[in-house]
Amino acid sequence: MSLNAKQWIVAILALLFLSALLIVAWVEGGRARVVTHPESIVSSQNKDCVSCHEVKTPGIVGQWHESKHSESGIGCMECHQAEEGEIDAFNHEGKLIATIVSPKDCSRCHEREFKEYQASHHAEGGKILGSLDNVLAEVVEGHVSFDAMGNKSSSPAAVSGCLQCHGSEVKVLEDGKLDPATWPNTGIGRINPDGSKGSCSACHMRHDFDLAQSRMPENCGRCHLGPDHPQLEVYTESKHGIAFAANRERYVPLMSAKEWVPGIDYEQGPTCSSCHMSATRNLPVTHDVGARISWTLRPPVSEKIDAAAKKMGKDVKPWEDRRSDMKDVCLSCHSPNWVDNWYIQFDNLVNLYNDKFGKPATLLYKSVRSKGLITNEINFDDAIEFTYFFLWHHEGRRARHGAAMMGPDYTQWHGMFEVAHRFYMEFVPELKEIIEAGVKSGDPKLVKSAHEVEKQLDEVLNSEMHRWFLGKMDDKAKAARDKARKEFKKRYARE
Amino acid sequence: MLTQAWSWFRTRVPFDEELLRHLSAEPVSGHLKRWWWCLGGTPLYLFMLQLLTGIILTFYYVPNPEQAYESVQRITMDLPFGWYLRSFHKWSSNLMILAVVLHMMRVFFTGAYRAPREMNWIIGFMLFGITLLFGFTGYSLLWEQLSYWGITVAANILAATPLIGDVLANFLRGGTEVNGNTLTRFFVFHIGVLPTLMIALLICHVYLIRSLGVSQLEGDRPSDTKTFPFFPDHFLTELSIGAFLMFLITCLALIFPVGMGDQANPLITPEHIKPEWYFFWAFRWLKLMTDTNAVITQGIFIAFIMFWPFIDGVIRRRWKNSEISMFIGILVVLYLLGLTVWETVYLMH
Repeated sequence: MSLNAKQWIVAILALLFLSALLIVAWVEGGRARVVTHPESIVSSQNKDCVSCHEVKTPGIVGQWHESKHSESGIGCMECHQAEEGEIDAFNHEGKLIATIVSPKDCSRCHEREFKEYQASHHAEGGKILGSLDNVLAEVVEGHVSFDAMGNKSSSPAAVSGCLQCHGSEVKVLEDGKLDPATWPNTGIGRINPDGSKGSCSACHMRHDFDLAQSRMPENCGRCHLGPDHPQLEVYTESKHGIAFAANRERYVPLMSAKEWVPGIDYEQGPTCSSCHMSATRNLPVTHDVGARISWTLRPPVSEKIDAAAKKMGKDVKPWEDRRSDMKDVCLSCHSPNWVDNWYIQFDNLVNLYNDKFGKPATLLYKSVRSKGLITNEINFDDAIEFTYFFLWHHEGRRARHGAAMMGPDYTQWHGMFEVAHRFYMEFVPELKEIIEAGVKSGDPKLVKSAHEVEKQLDEVLNSEMHRWFLGKMDDKAKAARDKARKEFKKRYARE
Repeated sequence: MLTQAWSWFRTRVPFDEELLRHLSAEPVSGHLKRWWWCLGGTPLYLFMLQLLTGIILTFYYVPNPEQAYESVQRITMDLPFGWYLRSFHKWSSNLMILAVVLHMMRVFFTGAYRAPREMNWIIGFMLFGITLLFGFTGYSLLWEQLSYWGITVAANILAATPLIGDVLANFLRGGTEVNGNTLTRFFVFHIGVLPTLMIALLICHVYLIRSLGVSQLEGDRPSDTKTFPFFPDHFLTELSIGAFLMFLITCLALIFPVGMGDQANPLITPEHIKPEWYFFWAFRWLKLMTDTNAVITQGIFIAFIMFWPFIDGVIRRRWKNSEISMFIGILVVLYLLGLTVWETVYLMH
């Protein structure tokens, strides 16, 4: 081949290469770039909001810039826009908006989450007006007054306490502003002006809505902590919590991803949402937090979580199915035998609490109230009412939650030990005082009632689990205790 | 003006212009006009392309298990022309391996490895090994499932080596597990150790070609005994091949752009762990026997090919003009091709 021909070949091939490069440039220009740290998309309808609020409330705009919403062009108006006629709608710089973005607003895009949430126990959190907790916040601890029209004032104890977790019933004042007694509030069961229940931002903090934040144990710990339901503390002392703490730094960048599946995306240290909400290898994610819970550990006597609904004739997910789903989560990391045995341990603890303390204390408490030995119509005016409340609402729950979430210290020392102390050293003596007062009252009706309660108390104390308290432990148990005590002392060379 | 500038430059950087002219115009054997005699220059050209695209990719790649996958994703999805750069790097590497194999076959079947060129065959074979290691360390850097489990399998194979298995496997992984240490050393190998070795051996390879001269083809046609100057004749041939390769790689990048596999996850073992196509033969061989037997037999096989010029020398001294090398060569090609096709068919099902 001549040199000239070779030169032509090189030129033609070079031209072909350059043409191919032009196609590369064309492809590059036309492709939708999937960016990992994209710029926020500020649509024309949000442009004015963003430019003004960047100055007035830069924190809010900064949060939004961090959100996935901003990447997709979901901005202020997409969530805050209101329809004509909505009770909380108001005109703001020429736009009809509402301050509160309710779950119904979120459902425009997140319909499945909305439906699951509305069906959940969380969504009912605002309906606590008839509860003993509410009596405490509005009467015992706080105070409410009524005007001539019968309108109730608010109790600061409830507004700043209970309702911040449970949710307020948001009221719109005549001037269109939100009633300070009911808002700001991001309670889980907030009753919104549009009738929807709850607040998505109770867990998904606005305005960045970061999934990692919502999956953090502290997020649930905003409400699930403290003396009456120390789930966060129990979790922290559990192996789950320890494993999460040890790996937290590694997990945080990964927890913002849409999927966070135990056994696939991480190997240990589940958080609250992992077990109660997250997708597993077999289950989809759920926003019904009770969907995998089999016991209710909240009332004085625990029962299976579907029991109350069944009594009311409702068709709800059976507790067996809920437990099966929770077991599916457990099986991401534990063997079937481990999981089954663990549930036996948990059930046994709940049954022990119920049978030994919950049921007898409730029976005796209801008895002294219904028989008029203490005031029946006023709550918390008798010492035994506080005692009973502490027993089930604080210590009893602590023991049960400790067992449910593998917190041994909360099961034992913060739990069953304090339940026992409360029962034997406070509840029973106070009951005896009430009985004695009834017997000495001279009122035949009260005397009769006092004897009836005394008989009930005797039956309880003489029952198998309590007879030790009367010095009536049976011989076999006594011998076993003596033997164990001697071995213990011998082990520590104290005898 | 230009003359003045050239003179200024020559005064400050003196060199023998005549020698340069002589070196670049060195007569080249006539049979090199056949395109398959350019297969040696092809991998060299592709290696230079790999160096260039690799350097740019290194600007954006983060060699950390937490960020490696994401950084590759960013290069592919976010960086302007990043997808093209990565696709080019990948296709160029595949073509480089293919070109090296074809070059070796040409050298083997034309007997160009025979005395006095035995050492250059061994150097060339080492260059082939380095090319394969480039491929292996390269796709490991993506920190995809294929990367993670590829390294895991490779380490397990090495661990099966008698006596020193554990030492080798631990060296590969940087410990007893595939983790950040592994990624760091793969990165160092891919962008530091292997290029340095490659360049050093390439210098030796080219030096030996130049000093020993290009081998003459047995049974050459009379016209092929003529020579032609390296520059511009052969240079233009190489340039046309270079331009064609650029075009071909760009077309491949456009038609088959690189994507992203699943991120490395030690918790999920993929249903099929598969290496790149150029390791299929070894992977299939591994499945046919125990790991230790596979390592021993493959070690023997590699040593056999590497030192074939000496074995062939002994055979040819014993049986003059023996053509057993052709028979052996065909057997080896069929063996490698057969195992590769077998594994491909298996993976397709």
